[in-house]
Amino acid sequence: MPTNQDFVPKIQVFEPHRASLPPLIPYIKEFWKRRTFAIELARFSDKAEYLDSRLGKVWLVLNPLLLGMVYYLVVTIIRGGHKGTGLTTLDHLLIGLFTFYFAQNCVTAGAQSITMGGRLILNQAFPRALLPFATAIQAFQQFVPTIPVYIFILVTGKYFYPATQVPGWTFNFLWIPFILVCVALTGFGLALVFATLNVYFRDTNKLLTYITRIWMYLSPVLWLPETLHGMSRLLLYINPLGPALTATSDVWISGKGPHGLIIFGCLFWAIASIGIGGYFFISRERDFAIRI
Amino acid sequence: MSSEKKFLDVSHVSKNASPMPEELAIRIEELSISYKVSLEAKRTLKNAVMRASLRQEARVRSIDAIKKLSLDVPHGSVLGIVGSNGAGKSTLMRCIAGILSPTEGRVTVNGKISTLLALGVGFNPALSGRDNIILGGLASGLTKEEIESKTDEIAEFAALPDGFIDLPVRTYSSGMYGRLSFSVAVSMTPDILLLDEALSAGDAAFKEKSFERMRQLCAEARTILIVSHALATVTDLCDTAIWMHKGALLSKGKPEEIVDQYLKFLNVGSLPSNYEDM
Repeated sequence: MPTNQDFVPKIQVFEPHRASLPPLIPYIKEFWKRRTFAIELARFSDKAEYLDSRLGKVWLVLNPLLLGMVYYLVVTIIRGGHKGTGLTTLDHLLIGLFTFYFAQNCVTAGAQSITMGGRLILNQAFPRALLPFATAIQAFQQFVPTIPVYIFILVTGKYFYPATQVPGWTFNFLWIPFILVCVALTGFGLALVFATLNVYFRDTNKLLTYITRIWMYLSPVLWLPETLHGMSRLLLYINPLGPALTATSDVWISGKGPHGLIIFGCLFWAIASIGIGGYFFISRERDFAIRI
Repeated sequence: MSSEKKFLDVSHVSKNASPMPEELAIRIEELSISYKVSLEAKRTLKNAVMRASLRQEARVRSIDAIKKLSLDVPHGSVLGIVGSNGAGKSTLMRCIAGILSPTEGRVTVNGKISTLLALGVGFNPALSGRDNIILGGLASGLTKEEIESKTDEIAEFAALPDGFIDLPVRTYSSGMYGRLSFSVAVSMTPDILLLDEALSAGDAAFKEKSFERMRQLCAEARTILIVSHALATVTDLCDTAIWMHKGALLSKGKPEEIVDQYLKFLNVGSLPSNYEDM
């Protein structure tokens, strides 16, 4: 039996679009209304991805962990040992890698979300930004289990190597949610840019493999932010993840709160990425069904 | 008795749109859709850079998918759309659904739309039928609570063999897959339902069940648009039909007349096979 709600008139008018952006308020309202679709799409994609793997979601932690070990060996060999700092370098490397991978997964999976979601794009009308948003949620879901693993390594590392730098309980840990939100927004914003580019140029994703590799080497993951001085510190600020990774290292390793410029950098890149990515994506998304 | 027409003010949605008669579910005014198709085998960044360095223009072809089409669809009507491949039927459906934008003209829609333009949209083959019902329902615009409350009903309608609902859909036969997709789409209670070749899902028994569900939706005064090459579907279910050819609307009228005209045009005669699936 139809309810009254079913017959509430909902008028839509479809006309040629001359303005570069569709009306933003209805777009954002519809995006918010259908957020459950993105959340469930992320949950089910995650479930499907590890359904046939014997180790399942353990790979989510194993992958960056093994990579962290490899990088640690390389970095330690180059430096000629850990020089009385215990596992501090490993801890910095791991939390940097886990955080970087969170952003990288947002970008690389988000970049493919439109071209991979071709059937949905061609057959359902919904705000297209929900697809890269779903991949950003999935990247976050995959990032979360790495945190307890990191804490475990930190604590056991301190036990076996007392020289390891471990911060005591501090209110500066409250900066962590802020940093993660900034990383998520930066990753999602960049995903919007690359998802759009990938619709127009299908080899964007191949290029992205190299871009993310170089991006990681230029980020304070394999090296400490303190090693940069003077003008070279600019490198931290022109990198969209530079401020957030510096803040990550400050809080997780030293227990220090990020200083003002770093907080500004985190906010700047989060807002700029969402602003530029959102404009680039939404102004072109009405062409996706034709270009797919 | 006065039969004065009532109009809906749509100026809050579009400043240029004129008021729409209240009895209409869909109004299409002078609609044209054209798009450019790249003639390159692959659209890559590498090719774009090469082209730019040689100062060459991209090779594109313009396609006029819909040409100056005007049509009014009243609430509660079941409209059949027939035409050969490339007539613009699916493009028209996608434009009504808001998936494709018009190049010229305007489409005004008064009501909640549900689409079944392809089978299994939003489905993930690695997931179970139950998971895919939720995913498909959410993709169609239902809330999680709505789709969860209908899961058992949908599974029952799809008539899957025992236990299959919890198996990955990649293990399903194409018929089972089609039945499940169709069941998800018709589980909604839209004001306007757009179907593109969807009634070809399943065996004879399921087709009868689908027809029954369609009749039920019609009885509830839903507006339904059906694109089908199975002409029996058009004559059995629809109260009006249109014939499209190369993006233009050639004629509109009673389904039997339109089907006759279409068959004469195709020069194939009224063979039973024509009414099945062409």
